[in-house]
Amino acid sequence: MSDLLYKKNRKFYILLILPALALYCFGLVGPLLAGTIPSSFYDWNLIEGNKDWIGFGNYVKLFSDTTFLHSLLFTMILAVFTIIGTNILAFFVAFLLNEKIFGKTVSRAMFFIPNIISGVMVAFVWIFIFTGAIPSVAESIGLESLANVSWFGTPTMATVSVIIVSVWQGTGFLMMLYLAGLQTIPQDVLEASTLDGCTGLKKIIKIQLPLLMSTVTINLFVSIAGAFKAFDIPFALTAGGPSKSTQTVALNIYNDAFGSFKTGYGSAKSVILFLIIAIVTIIQLSITRKREVEA
Amino acid sequence: MKASKEKTKYGVLGAVVLLLGIIFMLPVFLIISNAFKPNKDILTNFIALPTSLYLDNFTEAMEIMNFWTVFRNTVLVTVSTVVIATLFSFFCAYGISHLKGKISTFFYMLFVLGQIIPFHTVMIAISVLATNAHLNNTLIGLVIFNSGFFTAFGVMTFVGFLKGIPRELEEAATLDGCGIWRTMMQVVFPLLVPTTVTVGVLFFLWSWNDFLLPSILNGDESLRTITVNLYMFKSSTSAQWNLFIAGLTLSMLPIVVIYILAQRYITSGLTSGAIK
Repeated sequence: MSDLLYKKNRKFYILLILPALALYCFGLVGPLLAGTIPSSFYDWNLIEGNKDWIGFGNYVKLFSDTTFLHSLLFTMILAVFTIIGTNILAFFVAFLLNEKIFGKTVSRAMFFIPNIISGVMVAFVWIFIFTGAIPSVAESIGLESLANVSWFGTPTMATVSVIIVSVWQGTGFLMMLYLAGLQTIPQDVLEASTLDGCTGLKKIIKIQLPLLMSTVTINLFVSIAGAFKAFDIPFALTAGGPSKSTQTVALNIYNDAFGSFKTGYGSAKSVILFLIIAIVTIIQLSITRKREVEA
Repeated sequence: MKASKEKTKYGVLGAVVLLLGIIFMLPVFLIISNAFKPNKDILTNFIALPTSLYLDNFTEAMEIMNFWTVFRNTVLVTVSTVVIATLFSFFCAYGISHLKGKISTFFYMLFVLGQIIPFHTVMIAISVLATNAHLNNTLIGLVIFNSGFFTAFGVMTFVGFLKGIPRELEEAATLDGCGIWRTMMQVVFPLLVPTTVTVGVLFFLWSWNDFLLPSILNGDESLRTITVNLYMFKSSTSAQWNLFIAGLTLSMLPIVVIYILAQRYITSGLTSGAIK
């Protein structure tokens, strides 16, 4: 395009950017830079009405806040178990669905639908299963010990419940990614390996899994970032209980900000959460970008 | 001989996988089947299929939940968000990909960086901002904030796909006397329909399932959206399984129907979103 024309159109291009830019700055960049970050340096409580500059005071306090530290630990535990659970299940299902089997579309939908239902609804489905369905079935087949399990009563069982539900919801999405990855493996590579006598489990471990390493990497980072953003399921399933044992970082911030109105302190925690997720996402983006170049 | 043997193998394997899928979805099926039973039947034997088509749970739940108002709110918010966020993302990406030099890179990176800001890190600031800007307790507030969050992903995705459209095409259109606006809307945009559908479907899911933003912004009962409303409904009916389950079924229904209708786009949208 000629320079003259470009100069004429330049104003139009900038105008096109403005609406999205305005919404984006108003909703995301502005609140972060002008809201969350400055607020984190204040002792600010919306109910008490005070707003005093305390520098890094909130951040210092964070390190001795056992509830916050525990929420970090719980988020890590949730992340590790959810990542292992979803990835194994998703790979297994994707592997089966990659064959030319009967009823593929319907089966795929079965595994995927939990992923598109909101976390709150998913949690409610499982509340009914844990407190209604499982005890009732266990009793009718005489498994008293299973019937008497209190799924939300102890910190350990509540953690297990949150993990089960998170895995159930997360599997479908990773399955789709694995399926997409499996389909990129060239058919002739697979045929050649079969001719060379490499079949079954050996074929999966020696041929398919190594060729899927980039998908595995993507899936790991998607799961890590997802785990740090976990909110809906623990909120609706256990509300972070019993005694705050299943609070994720996001839920901890929510309770601080909207339960006890600690705007300043909650903001300091938000900055920490932002830093953690930013690091994870930057690593993820740089890896996936590198992969794009290779492809 | 070999072909028929293979057919049997895939048939059997398919049946096994289907069975696994049904087991996986069993929690949802149990919720749906129990929604058709009177409360006493749910408590005594919940595995049994409903013996008759008992619809009282639904009618009662719909009334208590104020279902149609909530459904209308959710549709209004979601459709507006999808249209605004998708269109503005496309405009912005078009501008970015046509600008030359550092300014283009600057805007592009600005939007890419937005993807590393999770909503939870700005929710406190948003609730303060919404109160000051009088956007709390409004539906338009949800549309504005969600559109702002979604554009980060939308712009990045559209820029990626705009790169694949040959510039010669636009130049030819300009030479033929096609104005700049018409070139964008009638020459380039139709080529990006698959991308637009993908982006739109994702925005739809995000907005429809949103819980945190509406629960922070809107306390007003008449402004609730579907997920928040279900959450509130649960606390008011906790002792009545039948109503709760019927409400849950009703709340899940729209998104499942949409999935069945738009399965192809949802699948491709979600996967390309993660990989791109």
